[in-house]
Amino acid sequence: MNRQAAHDLIVIGGGPAGLTAGLYAGRGGLRAAIVEKLMPGGLVANTERIDNYPGFPEGISGYDLAQRLQAQAARFGAEFISDEAVGITPEPKSFTVPLASKKVLRAKALVIATGAFPKKLGVPGERELLGKGVSYCAVCDGAFFRGQEVAVVGGGDSAIQEAVYLAGLCSKVTVVHRRSSLRAAESLQKLAFRNERISFAWDKSVSAIEGSSGVTGVRVMDKGTGVDEVIPASGVFIYVGYSPNSAVAGSLVKLDEAGHIVTDDNMATSHPGIYAAGDVRRKLVRQIAGAVGDAATAAVAAQHYIENL
Amino acid sequence: MALLKDEDRQKLVEEFGQKLASPVKLAFFTQNLDCMYCGPTEMILKELAPLSDKITLETWNFVNDKTQAELYGIDKIPAVAVIGAKDHGVRFYGIPAGYEFASLVASIIDVSRGETGLSQESKDVLMSLSKPVNIQVFVTPTCPYCQSMVRLAHQAAVESDLVTAHMVESTEFPHLAQRYGVMGVPKTVINETASLDGAVPEHVFMHHLQEAGKQL
Repeated sequence: MNRQAAHDLIVIGGGPAGLTAGLYAGRGGLRAAIVEKLMPGGLVANTERIDNYPGFPEGISGYDLAQRLQAQAARFGAEFISDEAVGITPEPKSFTVPLASKKVLRAKALVIATGAFPKKLGVPGERELLGKGVSYCAVCDGAFFRGQEVAVVGGGDSAIQEAVYLAGLCSKVTVVHRRSSLRAAESLQKLAFRNERISFAWDKSVSAIEGSSGVTGVRVMDKGTGVDEVIPASGVFIYVGYSPNSAVAGSLVKLDEAGHIVTDDNMATSHPGIYAAGDVRRKLVRQIAGAVGDAATAAVAAQHYIENL
Repeated sequence: MALLKDEDRQKLVEEFGQKLASPVKLAFFTQNLDCMYCGPTEMILKELAPLSDKITLETWNFVNDKTQAELYGIDKIPAVAVIGAKDHGVRFYGIPAGYEFASLVASIIDVSRGETGLSQESKDVLMSLSKPVNIQVFVTPTCPYCQSMVRLAHQAAVESDLVTAHMVESTEFPHLAQRYGVMGVPKTVINETASLDGAVPEHVFMHHLQEAGKQL
């Protein structure tokens, strides 16, 4: 096997962080490849409208942003590989990255930008009724519940944004939240509170999703009174946060308790030559604006590392 | 009213100019009554076809032009058959709008070239098939993940003469959505026997195709 690294830098993950790392690496003259298992944009492609990414005063769809980021990375020579990285093996002054297709990539440094995936509630009925009324994508599946009653679980930005979207299609949207106030941005809260079709079930934890061939309701328990009830719904959309996709690098780099990759200010992980950027990293704020900033730093830091090898 | 922005139209002209090889025919099946999305689908095709002299649009009436409908196996409308040097079995049932417009553009290019960007491993799987495989990918036009499954299905059809692949817009064909229990997309039905919820990577898709091919 050829011991020479075919790439200088491999970026694992093709969301905003990964595409930006590819862009900076390409511009810096590195031979860079971005490995993405599904589609450019990652989770962002699933966001109907992004209103807080600077430079787009009217907002931009997640899909459009992803397309633009990919085109920009490609313009500077980053290669886009549709495949899944299944591991990382450190070698002297390089890494090998085996792919699901059985191909093996080799590079001098890595940027892990694998992002995060929607958290499951982990309650009975959730897995059994997936695709039968349980959904993690309102823009994808909302149309199946036109004129019907649905529930949204969660109280963050995604939950409230999607509740507002669903209220445009469904007769009634109940937001089930385990606290007595929302974490979502003030502007989103306002939109939700003044929408007549959206109601709120506060201080409720979900104990099960009910139904057999399709969802019929969400079983909840009041955290104060302990009273158990079923909120009728033919669809339930779950937005209870995200878990980091750190498994590919998990055994090589330091993780926090929740599985996020721990980095220093230069996005360096505990393993020399491996950098991390975006939602997979331990940090306070998980926004696209932050992810692309991480990625610019990670790519430049990786370039310094490569030049000093 | 033009559906495509000037900027996008220009990009498509360039892309088709660079990538199209052999001529491609879009065989469009429509009717005047009881087809809410036939008109909008026609508008999309009428804007797309003139962007390259390699693309021709043929419009057939689903009721009156029975011979053509049978030739391409069309059983519901609106329908678009993307035909290249041969019929690879690439079909779009329902409007190719939203994210699926990108699927249509990509499939026109693949059909024109008679080859795709699938990996060698995937092509090997497709070569090993010995029985016909039909893939139906249920989508909604607002589903960002659906496109990746439609692409894989259509690419498989272009690479293998045994594979036919249909995009099916779920909300336009509720009886099919009901028959296959579609309440979430993408949902991929292979040979009526196997189904796959959600978007999966290429190697997983090929594995399911291989398994479904064996069960016949």
